[in-house]
Amino acid sequence: MDNTLSFTKPLLETPFHKRTFEACYNNDWYRWAGYKIAREYSNTELEYTSMRNTAGVLDITPMHKYDIKGKDAIKFVDKLVTRDVTQIKPNQVMYIIWCNEDGNVIDDGTVFCFDKHHLRIFCAERNLNWFSDTAIGFDVEVKDVSDSIAALAFQGPLSCKILHLLNVKNIENLKPFFFDNFNLNGSKVTISRTGFSGDLGYEIWCNPEEAINVWDSLFKFNRDYKILPAGMNALEMVRIEAGFIQPNADFMSAEQALRPNRMRTPFELGMGWLVDLNKNYFTGKRILNDLKKKPLTKKLVGLDIQGDKPAIGSVLYDKNRKEIGIVTAGMWSPSLKSNIAFGYVDNHHMKIGSKVFAEIYHPEELEYKKIWAECLVVKKQFFNPQRRHKVPADI
Amino acid sequence: MKKFDVIIIGGGHNGLVAACVLSKKGKKVLVIEKNEKLGGLANYAESLSYISKEVIDELNIKIEKNVSENFISALSEDLNHTVLKINDSKNIEFLQTSASNSDQKNFINLINKYNLFARTLRSFMFKRPPRVKSGSRSDIWQLFSMGFKVRRLGKKNMRELLRVIGLNIADDLEDNIESNTLKGLMSNEAVIGTNLGARSPGSILNLLYNQATNNSLFRINKFNTNSFLNIIENICKKNNVEIQTNKTVEKINILNQNVNSVLLNTGEVIETSAIISNTDPKTTYLELVGASNLDTDFIRRTKNYRTKGTVAKVNIEFESEIKIKNLDSSYSSGKFVYAPDIKYIEHAFNDNKYNKLSLNPCLEFYINKNQLSANVYFIPYLINSSHDKEKILSNVKLILEKFIEENQIISSIIETPNDIENKYNIYGGHWSHGDMEIDQLLMMRPFYGSSQYSTPINGLYLCSAGTHPGGGITGINGINAAKQLLKVQGNG
Repeated sequence: MDNTLSFTKPLLETPFHKRTFEACYNNDWYRWAGYKIAREYSNTELEYTSMRNTAGVLDITPMHKYDIKGKDAIKFVDKLVTRDVTQIKPNQVMYIIWCNEDGNVIDDGTVFCFDKHHLRIFCAERNLNWFSDTAIGFDVEVKDVSDSIAALAFQGPLSCKILHLLNVKNIENLKPFFFDNFNLNGSKVTISRTGFSGDLGYEIWCNPEEAINVWDSLFKFNRDYKILPAGMNALEMVRIEAGFIQPNADFMSAEQALRPNRMRTPFELGMGWLVDLNKNYFTGKRILNDLKKKPLTKKLVGLDIQGDKPAIGSVLYDKNRKEIGIVTAGMWSPSLKSNIAFGYVDNHHMKIGSKVFAEIYHPEELEYKKIWAECLVVKKQFFNPQRRHKVPADI
Repeated sequence: MKKFDVIIIGGGHNGLVAACVLSKKGKKVLVIEKNEKLGGLANYAESLSYISKEVIDELNIKIEKNVSENFISALSEDLNHTVLKINDSKNIEFLQTSASNSDQKNFINLINKYNLFARTLRSFMFKRPPRVKSGSRSDIWQLFSMGFKVRRLGKKNMRELLRVIGLNIADDLEDNIESNTLKGLMSNEAVIGTNLGARSPGSILNLLYNQATNNSLFRINKFNTNSFLNIIENICKKNNVEIQTNKTVEKINILNQNVNSVLLNTGEVIETSAIISNTDPKTTYLELVGASNLDTDFIRRTKNYRTKGTVAKVNIEFESEIKIKNLDSSYSSGKFVYAPDIKYIEHAFNDNKYNKLSLNPCLEFYINKNQLSANVYFIPYLINSSHDKEKILSNVKLILEKFIEENQIISSIIETPNDIENKYNIYGGHWSHGDMEIDQLLMMRPFYGSSQYSTPINGLYLCSAGTHPGGGITGINGINAAKQLLKVQGNG
């Protein structure tokens, strides 16, 4: 392990690396929290298609996991996040965001409730510092358990069927945003019906020692159901369709932004529904209370863009060619057959149905084609099939 | 159940002054004090150098000046002591010294330079400081006028002020003076009660700040602390302020970010709509208010607020009258300083950095017949342990033996910062409820989000030394806090 030639530590390999390395034909790795994660195994569109039609397997081990243990575990999370979590029940999962004192979003994540005194928060960015400071005055212990849990996202319309075929008992009755312990082909695993694809899907959490068995099991029925390992690029596609935003891509985490006006409040991100101003005090409540009464100056919205050229990095204009915002993420959606994007617009164009224009620079054989495309402001959630919410799930 | 308009937590001098101001406006005020005796930390200071015009006018009090002469003796190991007579801030004379004539002249010049700067500081020090990031017109105006006052010093002096304000005292002394005794004497005023050595940046700022508070570079005996405390206590009594001693507040109950009541250690709950806390900011926020009512960023700042005390109080009773070797007994009414040179102070400070007891501490003491009362530094506050007090005493004794003619110690009382913390509920047992350093001063005192005596909790105010203008017995903190409360309630 000792690398005396390099000044930096080489990227870590996840417990699935033996398999992901074999599968990663392109050898194209992405750096996520110090780990190597495949960006593209062989073909992004193919991986995307498997997630939308059969199922895709994503290694999400680098995700940050924080154990919250102690008498005040629920009280602590309630102080941390904008939602009322005091009513959370064992085996329940909640989508949460947390803000700083100015009401700017730091990160989003999910909280799993094992029991009253033991919760676990999953998030994309490092947050131990923030959690530890929030824990001052509470009878809790915050521990980073990121490296001791291996995790896979198993997303797609056939995900439940395959788990069912693997004899995971009663998996079809697991409700969205709930989790339980299961036996998967001899491995003890925790499965939650959550995910980043906006489709029917599960996340599987296990001991690093069980990782290879879990991975192999999922591909057991591949003769009939062609499921594929999916890389980060494919995940980016499905999450845009699903309307999920990402810190430091669609907004700057308030703990990391250097320029104060780059931070965003939940209202500006369209996450006002997650802010409960009637609950007990939480960080940012005072300011959010004031902000709620004020009109917004900008908002992150979904855009349905004319044509088929992705508007990645485009500047948005109003009809008088005045700059009103930018696109933060965009793609041509193969499932929806439309050109979709997230973008910030000003207060005159926030309403669903407003019209704005995007200036798209599309590279075409060493020359840029400049496209002036009309965009319709729509809901961020572009893709939301019924099977995602169905209980029991399709098997 | 009794209900009060305002409850003041802590009967220190600032709490009492605030009670005076509020009761004068017809508020029903309750003061809760942990100890039997009112006055808090002010009881440690026998005398005051200065009571500001703001306090005298606001409280409408008359206080008699001590007429006695003020001497400061810098003790030197060769028994060639230096004695200064201080008539007022501008009039300081050498009665005896081993320093050269040019040194004496330079020393006086240096004092005059600092005096000029301290006067500029004082012109905005006793007012409510502006807030940062508020964007309000009055705050911007105040910042502008602070800048203007500095500019009015003239080009040369302004440059000099801006040059020295972040500097360490040792550098400026070494540039001007040669005598070690004089360097030590001045450094003593710059570093006592702080976490700064003579070579720590910011020690000049601390010196100027003290000078502005005391209206004199050397703290002198002009007013009696007890008579000041008695006067404000009498005003409180006259205005029907209720004072309950031997009780502590355990918790401030908060309802929807408004203060609601306080819970005492006796189990009593007293309702109120406004509270002024005279305890230090850390105790107020972390223990009384509780982290669950405050933003995480705010808790972070509270936690990072530096409050490590460094001074121990040592009172020694001798068998017979104390006589200093080779010094006229007429000077014994004054202050004695043992901080022989910069290196000595710096070594004492080094131990403090590593939470160790310094074997060769600096001393500042007064004698009264057979009693000696000393401030000993650096004696660091320890988080999880306590100092061996015998060791402190023996270290002090070793120093005193050099200067005091043979005498027997009868008894001694030693109060380390840990003791002060317990006795007065002050985090770290710090003299000024927190270091007086550039990031913890003015609008940044105690920290961002809590300036102007207000707190994130509606109806809760701070008036302790942890607010602007900081430590020292000024009463300004109390007056400004009370005024802020009245202003918010709309009858200021």
